[in-house]
Amino acid sequence: MKSGTYISGIGHGFFILWALFGGFFLSTEKPVPLQATDVSLITMAEFAALTPPDVPPVVQFDDPQPVEATPEDTAPEVAPTPDEPPVLPVPDEVAAPELDVSPPEPEVAPEPPVEDEEQPVIPTPPVLETPPVIAEPDEVATPAPAPRVAPEPAAAPEPDTEVAETETPPVAPDETAETISEETPATAPQEAATEIVTEAETPASAAPVRSMRPTARPARPDPVVAQDPTPPSDAVADAVAEAVASTTPSPPARPTGPPLTGGEKEGLRVAVQKCWNVGSLSSEAISTTVVVAVAMGRDGRPDTGSIKMLSFSGGSDGAAGQAFAAARRAIIRCGAKGYDLPVEKYSQWQDIEMTFNPEKMRIK
Amino acid sequence: MRLIKSVTLALVCLCAAQIATAQNGPLRIEITEGVIEPLPVAVPDFIAENPAAQDVAVNIARVIASDLSGTGLFREIPHDAFISQITSFSSPVQYSDWKAINAQALVSGAVSVASDGRMTVKFRVFDVFSDTPLGDGLQFGGTTGSWRRIAHKVADVVYSRITGEGGYFDSRVVFVSESGPKNKRLKRLAVMDYDGANLQYLTDASAIVLAPRFSPAGDRVLYTSYETGFPRVNILNVGTVKRRALDVQAEALTFAPRFGPDGNTVVLSLSQGGNTDIYKTTVNGGDLQRLTSTPAIETAPGFSPDGKRIVFESDRSGTQQLYVMGANGGEATRISFGKGRYGTPVWSPRGDLIAFTKQANGRFHIGVMRTDGSEERLLTASFLDEGPTWSPNGRVIMFTRESKGAAGARALYSVDITGRNLRRVSTEGAASDPAWSPLLK
Repeated sequence: MKSGTYISGIGHGFFILWALFGGFFLSTEKPVPLQATDVSLITMAEFAALTPPDVPPVVQFDDPQPVEATPEDTAPEVAPTPDEPPVLPVPDEVAAPELDVSPPEPEVAPEPPVEDEEQPVIPTPPVLETPPVIAEPDEVATPAPAPRVAPEPAAAPEPDTEVAETETPPVAPDETAETISEETPATAPQEAATEIVTEAETPASAAPVRSMRPTARPARPDPVVAQDPTPPSDAVADAVAEAVASTTPSPPARPTGPPLTGGEKEGLRVAVQKCWNVGSLSSEAISTTVVVAVAMGRDGRPDTGSIKMLSFSGGSDGAAGQAFAAARRAIIRCGAKGYDLPVEKYSQWQDIEMTFNPEKMRIK
Repeated sequence: MRLIKSVTLALVCLCAAQIATAQNGPLRIEITEGVIEPLPVAVPDFIAENPAAQDVAVNIARVIASDLSGTGLFREIPHDAFISQITSFSSPVQYSDWKAINAQALVSGAVSVASDGRMTVKFRVFDVFSDTPLGDGLQFGGTTGSWRRIAHKVADVVYSRITGEGGYFDSRVVFVSESGPKNKRLKRLAVMDYDGANLQYLTDASAIVLAPRFSPAGDRVLYTSYETGFPRVNILNVGTVKRRALDVQAEALTFAPRFGPDGNTVVLSLSQGGNTDIYKTTVNGGDLQRLTSTPAIETAPGFSPDGKRIVFESDRSGTQQLYVMGANGGEATRISFGKGRYGTPVWSPRGDLIAFTKQANGRFHIGVMRTDGSEERLLTASFLDEGPTWSPNGRVIMFTRESKGAAGARALYSVDITGRNLRRVSTEGAASDPAWSPLLK
């Protein structure tokens, strides 16, 4: 009886598994072929750039001999006249632009030099009508940049607008309203990719820019084990012992309490990166990653004297020094008013290690 | 079953270890996105230590500020924003006053002029937010007539200390100065400071001159002259303005010359019997050596900074493309494969990039690529851009841009290798074919 039940169960099990997965493993049907056409979207500016706006002059790279047009070369060219080389007089003018010297051949020259104004008439080069070709990403010329490049573009704020992370419309007193709303200053993100606010328009901050690092709590002296019943009292020895005890570094405080949330960490990261300016770094320095340690005060301000480079990678010592200087400036500048960190979690962020990795910035 | 238990236990232990580590160590964050904007720098007027230095002290500070701002990497803070003034070269800097106006670097200096006309310029650079000087103070000496050069030298030091790479301000540019209508253009060789100052003409307009190229020491210029009616390579001493034709085969056409890094070797194009190839010779015209021998047009050769390789353009594949070969010739490797034509390659002084002109889709571009042809980037796009030349530090490219139309004029432009800071170089009238000198000694 049991054997029959087992056999039946196993058999049904195999049947269900086959029904579920058999077709998946044993299916020999090939997927229906699909026809796909690559479609690319281009902006009006790119389309205009791809469309020859005018008949440009013909340019020969250092040599006037004509080059056959190819489908990919849509620029007009000088019509070749290799079979009837003209006798060239002394050239005294330049008619067409050249990239380098364009030598006119003597009587045996196969074609006229581009340089020669006196040469036979060069027919107007035709514009080859070819469909616009969508340039490869690396072939698109970089547009003229804005003075400031930031992760997110931002329009120029109003003159009296205070710089803040989020945009807040100004609220003005409404005389007709029954309730008087409190006037709040307008805020907007710091301008990016348009023009930079001059220092003359930036109000000078009266806030202190430095703060003393809190001193470490003296270590509690170990209880004296009374080996000698009455050790002689030595004032000098006591003073030395006290001094040693006061200068003995306390063990690193283990963070207690709840850790920073992801949002709090992200807020700190965003706050620092706003001041991390890599625009003036050398090519080597912008390839260098530095790890920087900083001690923070309870008010969220960095202790400038504690900022030090722990390690670097990807560049020379000199490049690391430049990269560290930029990182240091970023920490100090954006922390001048104190980073927005929860005081109750101070033990979690009193010591911070920041890794400044400019890999993404190299391609901007 | 036992294996699953072991794996689970290991994962639990690993997670516990991670948590323990995260709680015991400092807070760690990674910054990957920054901003790219000009660095605010304060350049107060230099202190005149005697009445004779009054004007030059102000002028030197203005040139330094102009040099730094012109790079696009710095932004000068207006003087009326200053909270404190530098009244003494030796007095301590009030860093807080400069921080308050967001000055991240400060340049202070002093100028004195002796009775014999000798001038001394001393300066310091400060990292304001670090409350420390950037390096030691320096001083340069010279005559009052050389105040612009001294200002450029100071700017070079400031640029180097802040960015970590060499400057390019104390350099000159030789170019072809053009005048007259477009159909009857007069051309002269001219040389000027990199910023357009101190213009000096090297030849008259009696013959067409093209493609000047500086020697590695900046004391001589190779160029092509049509003085005889046909192109011939000439060599000119910049100091004496004396010139002579390069003594290469008299019956051949020679053009597109360029010095080797030793200052004695010259590569050029030589056209004979309807075929153009690349040759190597010396400044005296001896030891002529043929480097290419194909029926194609091979021209625009240029050495790598170490002198071991030569980049040139050739249409041996059917269109103009870039190739690299050894300094003594041999098999060439094609390095350009994009759509369009490539020409006028120039090796970067750093040795890592090659600048070129590209013609594609009816437009002209100045671009750069790695020496193996990878990572091609186009920096400009216009009706006609051509003839790139590198700044001494390999950070900036100068080139010729021509506007379209019958009234289109040629002018010199410069652009950072990032594609930013495209700007026109100040010249008197039309100009073309720039060649940047090395840093002056």
